[in-house]
Amino acid sequence: MSGIAAAAPAVHAHHDDRSFIRKYIFSTDHKIIGIQFLFVSLFFLFLGGLLAMQIRWQLGYPGRPMPGGGILPETMAPGGVILPEYYIQLVTMHGTFMVFFAIMPLLVGVFANYLIPLKIGAHDMAFPRINMWSFWSAFTGGLVMFASLFVPEGAARAGWTMYAPLSARHDLSGAGLGQELWSISIVLLGLSSILGSLNYITTIINNRTPGMTWFRLPLSVWALFITAILGLLALPVLSGAAIMLLFEQILGTHFFDPAAGGQVLLWQHLFWFFGHPEVYILILPAMGMVSDIVANGSRKPIFGYHSMVFALVGIGFLGWVVWGHHMFMSGMNPTLGSTFMVTTMIISVPSAIKVFNWMGTMWRGNLRFHVPMLNAIGFVAMFVIGGLSGVFMAATPVDMPIHDTYFIVAHIHYVLFGGSLFALFGAITFWYPNMFGKMMNERWGKIHFWLTMLFFNLTFFPMHILGMGGHMRRIYDPTQYNFLKPYQPMNTFITIAAFALFASQLIFALNFILSLRWGKKAPLNPWEDNGLEWTLPTPPPHGNWDRPPTVYRGPYEYSAPQVAEDYLPQAKKLPTDREPAAAPVAGH
Amino acid sequence: MAHATATVDVMRPPAPAERGVDVYNLKLGMWVFLASEVMFFTALIGSYIVLRFGASPNPWAQPGKVLSIQITAFNTFLLICSSVSMVKAYASIADGNVKLMKVWLLVTILCGATFVGIQVYEYTHLIHHGFQPSGYREGSELAELAAANPVPYGAATAGLYGSTFFTMTGFHGFHVTCGVISMTYVFIRALRGKYSQQDHRGIEVIGLYWHFVDLVWIILFTIVYLI
Amino acid sequence: MAETRHAHPPYLLIWLYLFVLTVAEIALAFELPFSRNVKLILLLLLALWKAFLVAMFFMHLKFEKWNLRLIAIVPLPLALILVLAVITEHVW
Repeated sequence: MSGIAAAAPAVHAHHDDRSFIRKYIFSTDHKIIGIQFLFVSLFFLFLGGLLAMQIRWQLGYPGRPMPGGGILPETMAPGGVILPEYYIQLVTMHGTFMVFFAIMPLLVGVFANYLIPLKIGAHDMAFPRINMWSFWSAFTGGLVMFASLFVPEGAARAGWTMYAPLSARHDLSGAGLGQELWSISIVLLGLSSILGSLNYITTIINNRTPGMTWFRLPLSVWALFITAILGLLALPVLSGAAIMLLFEQILGTHFFDPAAGGQVLLWQHLFWFFGHPEVYILILPAMGMVSDIVANGSRKPIFGYHSMVFALVGIGFLGWVVWGHHMFMSGMNPTLGSTFMVTTMIISVPSAIKVFNWMGTMWRGNLRFHVPMLNAIGFVAMFVIGGLSGVFMAATPVDMPIHDTYFIVAHIHYVLFGGSLFALFGAITFWYPNMFGKMMNERWGKIHFWLTMLFFNLTFFPMHILGMGGHMRRIYDPTQYNFLKPYQPMNTFITIAAFALFASQLIFALNFILSLRWGKKAPLNPWEDNGLEWTLPTPPPHGNWDRPPTVYRGPYEYSAPQVAEDYLPQAKKLPTDREPAAAPVAGH
Repeated sequence: MAHATATVDVMRPPAPAERGVDVYNLKLGMWVFLASEVMFFTALIGSYIVLRFGASPNPWAQPGKVLSIQITAFNTFLLICSSVSMVKAYASIADGNVKLMKVWLLVTILCGATFVGIQVYEYTHLIHHGFQPSGYREGSELAELAAANPVPYGAATAGLYGSTFFTMTGFHGFHVTCGVISMTYVFIRALRGKYSQQDHRGIEVIGLYWHFVDLVWIILFTIVYLI
Repeated sequence: MAETRHAHPPYLLIWLYLFVLTVAEIALAFELPFSRNVKLILLLLLALWKAFLVAMFFMHLKFEKWNLRLIAIVPLPLALILVLAVITEHVW
């Protein structure tokens, strides 16, 4: 019923008499929901980082008591020495928190909610109340996952991919309640993503302001649209699989139990059928926002707008037929493996198109190296490295020796940290003034960027070498293997770099928190951007616009000859512009 | 802007930038949601197909041996009737007949609730005879029958049979229950006169959900009970 | 506005179709002397026919624009790809 709110221009923008709870806690305002997601997922990002530091300590200094580890209970780390049972929980929960509760909500929960209505000129999402439930469902899921760290026997222990039958049987994993809570939490998260995605899709299809045609949409909105489609169709499969896993744990079903005729590969297929679209859910929004930032920082129209859109759509199609490349070593049907190898190599083409277009955009641009632009360039560079190592692994014969080694760990961190997280640092800095009306500190932003860039590469680049040397993923103590002993100094080096990387993130955290209070007041359009969101006061009022703006052009009209400034906002009417034709309504 | 709202046809899309799918938000949202539901049932039904396919050469229990066909055939009939009564409710309100719409809606709710009731009866009956998610319960009537006739009762695949049967039909039943609850909400709104010829979005959208649930049952009935 | 909308399809006739098809399914499964594989294919076809009737008439897909139908169709190839790919695990 709320869907119709957008049809009549709202007049409530300036006298907002909602109570505190309706305004900030059970809010239906897409901006507040986005900001709720922002704070919650930054917390989980920090938590995931803390878990990673413990993993690194154990790998760098196996068996040595961890500084400050004494506060952990005896069942995890007696005297600060990490137990193997606790180590595997760390690995599992680091992956789970980072993928499901940090990066995914940061990209989709925060920016889809915050940006879509503002960028397409809508008053709010199509279904504000469903949007609220989407947040609270994800929040509950996060709480359940967080709680699972503290139950007896500890959290889930089967790795973030939860391969059955290890995850399905308590006697094998050694964790009872923790495993069950994992499944429950993932079902809640899946519900949240489905509700969110249907909202984003409906809003983008139906609630664009006059003049905002499909090919005038900013690439960030295009990317979020494709992401929403992927999420809508992939998350239910994960939810179904997680429910089956939960039944396996509590009802004694036999889906994944080979002893009773069940199939272990079934879990892997279901998980990765979700998992590969998920990979693109974790990178497409980053690509979209980087496109916006790169065009802004280059003061040039984006190079090849249409090819960017078609590359996104192409990834959206191909993303469904590549999942088997996670399973080359699983004993899967080899014919299927070859098919997946070919499709995986094909899917690198659209990604390459996008990289080419970003560089084409920057080429001979009037570059402005503000913090978001630096992070966006960092994204492009790191994504290229991560993407190239991905092409290695796409080839089955190459994948075989490096499968489940630190080469994979290096690859995923190059695309998820080097890719998504750099884009997120850029995007948060870029839209921070719009969200909070304050600027983040420029100097500390730059220091954070350079330190992160340095320590990120010092941490993750050597992992490629470790992986080529055969260093397995998720092992507790590399010094137990003779062939890994020569690599131990490198492991220690990585650990030191990782600690420095973590410390550098505190700069960002402090910059984020302190700027809320002491940041410079944001001017109306601090980055001189073309997007509709900058035509509003910062932060934008409830309901966004008194009258929806009219859009006259695409989002990337930088350095246009018609105007004196080097940017030309989408909603600015030039004498030569005509009003968009009234939208034809459905015929019969 | 009161005059503007008065002329807005709420059963049409909000002024779009271009011709889109030409439906209002709620209906579009429901269709998009149903697309995700298809994928959810794909995970469950697909697993059933794959597991059953992979179980050969071990035989699966023959239709009619463990599950009662009479009861579920009646349930299928109920659900088909509820689907047609739902669409009748929609047709009535589209023609402006509020009274008839309420009657048909009530019929739909009753059919749906009876379906759930019968399913609960079926479950308790099955569990009583020893059919449960983990297979045939040891020492139960069904376990003995299966030990005596391993082929018609699919003794070797009983674990998979129980797992898939209860998961699929259970989640279908859960969807029916959700449908009955939301339809009761719609019915209460209908009693309060919230729906009219000009605005009956709720009726149309809950109808879409209800028909989808019916459609899933049509597939489930065939592949679980008859094959 | 309703008078400009399409006339209602014959809902009761569709209901009759569904009823008859269901009876045919049960008869096919338990009474008719076909081989298992023939039964399997016929039953699946009947089920798809019924599902098609419900989607087209009760859910009004027959009367919607092509791009709304697209939303309904998009998940089907994905479902097919998933099931077919996983089934090949047993035939190699």
